[in-house]
Amino acid sequence: MTDLLEVNGVTKRFGGLTAVKNASFTLKKGEFTGILGPNGAGKTTLFNILTGFMQPTSGTIHFNGDLVRELAPYKVVNRGMARTFQLTRPFVGMNLLENVLVACMSPRASQDKDKEARASYLLAQVGLGGRDREPVETLPYGDLRRLEIARALATRPDLLLLDEPFAGLGSSEIEQLAQLIRRLHREENLTILLIEHKLREFMALVSRVIAMNFGEIIAIGPPEEIVKNEKVIEAYIGKTEDAHAPA
Amino acid sequence: MKRISPIDIAGGIIVVAILALAPMFAASNYLTGVLTVCAIYGIWASSWDFMSGLTGRENFGHSLFIGTGAYTAGFLSSIWSASPWISLPLGVVIAIAFSLLVGFPTLRLRGPYFALAMLSASAILQRLCLIFWEYTGGEEGLYGLDPLIKNPLHYYWFVLAILAVTVIALTLLAQSHWGLLLRAIRGDEATCQAAGINVTFYKIVSLMISAGFAGLGGALYAHYQLQVSPPLFSVVVSITVIIMVYVGGIGSIYGAAVAAILLTLLTEMLRGFGEYRLWIYTLTLMLILFFLPNGLIAPLWRRMTERFR
Repeated sequence: MTDLLEVNGVTKRFGGLTAVKNASFTLKKGEFTGILGPNGAGKTTLFNILTGFMQPTSGTIHFNGDLVRELAPYKVVNRGMARTFQLTRPFVGMNLLENVLVACMSPRASQDKDKEARASYLLAQVGLGGRDREPVETLPYGDLRRLEIARALATRPDLLLLDEPFAGLGSSEIEQLAQLIRRLHREENLTILLIEHKLREFMALVSRVIAMNFGEIIAIGPPEEIVKNEKVIEAYIGKTEDAHAPA
Repeated sequence: MKRISPIDIAGGIIVVAILALAPMFAASNYLTGVLTVCAIYGIWASSWDFMSGLTGRENFGHSLFIGTGAYTAGFLSSIWSASPWISLPLGVVIAIAFSLLVGFPTLRLRGPYFALAMLSASAILQRLCLIFWEYTGGEEGLYGLDPLIKNPLHYYWFVLAILAVTVIALTLLAQSHWGLLLRAIRGDEATCQAAGINVTFYKIVSLMISAGFAGLGGALYAHYQLQVSPPLFSVVVSITVIIMVYVGGIGSIYGAAVAAILLTLLTEMLRGFGEYRLWIYTLTLMLILFFLPNGLIAPLWRRMTERFR
C-alpha cells in the first residue's frame, strides 16, 4: 500500500494560540482512519488545513505525491480530496438533485456526461433515492448529512474527510449513517478520514486512530491500543463526563 | 433542471407583440422614442440581473459598462467616422475589457470590495470624461453620431429584437447548469469550493457576460440619442437599473426587463405632473419595495400562471 496523504510538521497559529502543533501522519490508500480528541483539540482546524480552507503557518502536505499546501480549496477537491462540513451547508432554494448537481459540475467529475443521472444515482447511493425533487429545506439533519456525503462523492474523491458526521443525530440515525459510511469504504474503495468524538461509534468504525489534544497528536494506533494509551485516557476518556457536552 | 414552460413562452410572445405594435397606433414618433429607451433599459436591467441577481454579488456600477459601451460608439462614430455597425461589437468588447479590469482583482475577494470597486470605477470614468475634455467633449460629450437605422420605428424594432434575444439568451443560461452554479455561489461560496467549483472563474465570466450586454445597450443608446455625455456613467443610472431589477423580481431576468419598460414608461407618463413627478415615482417605488420585497413582476406572473404550469 502506498501513502495517499502525507502530513509533515503542520502547525497553525492564530496569534498567540497554537491550534495545531507540529502534526505529522500518513494515510495509506484504502485506510479508514479517525481523528479523536476533545473539543478544541484542533481537529477541524487540521481538516481545514488539509482541504485548503486554511493555510498552515508551517509544514507540508503531500496528496497523491503532490504538494497541496497553498492550493485553493476547489483545487484540492479536484485532486481527489473531498470533505463534508460539521454544520451541514446545503444550497437552500434548491432541490436535492440540484444540490448534488453543483458538485457534478466540478472538473474532476467531467467524465460523468449525464450530470442528472449521476446526481440521481449518488442520491440513491446515500439512501435518498427517489427524492430528487424534494426541497432541501424540509430535510432532517440526518438526511442533510447524507446529502453532504453525496455531494462529496460527486467529485469522485480518493480521500473522503468527514467532519463529525454523527453530531446532533439520534442513535438510530447514527447506526444507519455508520452503515452507509462503512459500505462506501468497502465498496467504493474510499480512503476515509473521520473526525468524531462520540467514542463508541467511532471505535467501531475506524481501523486506526489519530488522537489529538491541545493541537498536538498524542498517539497514533489501532483503536484497541488507543483506548489503553495513558495520554489519551488522561486527555479524553478521563473527562468522559464533560466530553458528552453537545458538539 | 427547470425548463421554460409554454405559458412563459406564450407570455413572452404576447408582450413582445404588444410592444412591437404599440407605436403604430400612436399619432407621433414620441411613443416610438420612449419605447426605444424602455427597451434599452430592459437590456441594462436584465444584464445586471444575470450577474448580480444570480450570484448575489451586487454591482453598484453597471453604468461603467453602459458608459464605456456608449462612449465607444461615440468615439467611433463622431470622431473616427466609423460605420455605426462597428460600434455594437466594439462596445461589447470594450465593456467586457472593463469588466475584467474591475472584476479580476475584486471578485476573488469576499465582502463589499466588488460593489465598492464598481461604484468607484464608474465614478472615476465620469470624472475622467470631464478631465480629458479635449478628447471627450467634457460636459457636452460627443455629438453627431450617425444613426444605425434612420427610420425611428425600424430602429425601435431592432432594439426590441435585441432585448428579446438578450432576455432569451440570459434566461437559457440562467436555467442551464451554468445558472445553477451561479445560484449556488449566491447560496454558499465555501460549499461551492468544497464541491470543487472555481467560484472566482464563474463570477468573472458571468460579469463579462453581464458587461457585454450592458455595453451593447450602451452603444444602442448612443446611436439613439446620437450623442453621449458623462451622466451615462453616473450612479443614478446604476441605481435606476438596480431598482428596476428589484421591482421586477431579482434573479428572474424577464421580470427585470418588464419592470424596466414599465418604470421608464411611468417616468414619462408622470412628466405632466411637473415637480410632483419625483414624489409620485419615489413613493410608488417605496411602496412596492416595502410591501413586495420579492419584487412585483415575476412573483405576480408566477401567481397568475400557476394553474397553467
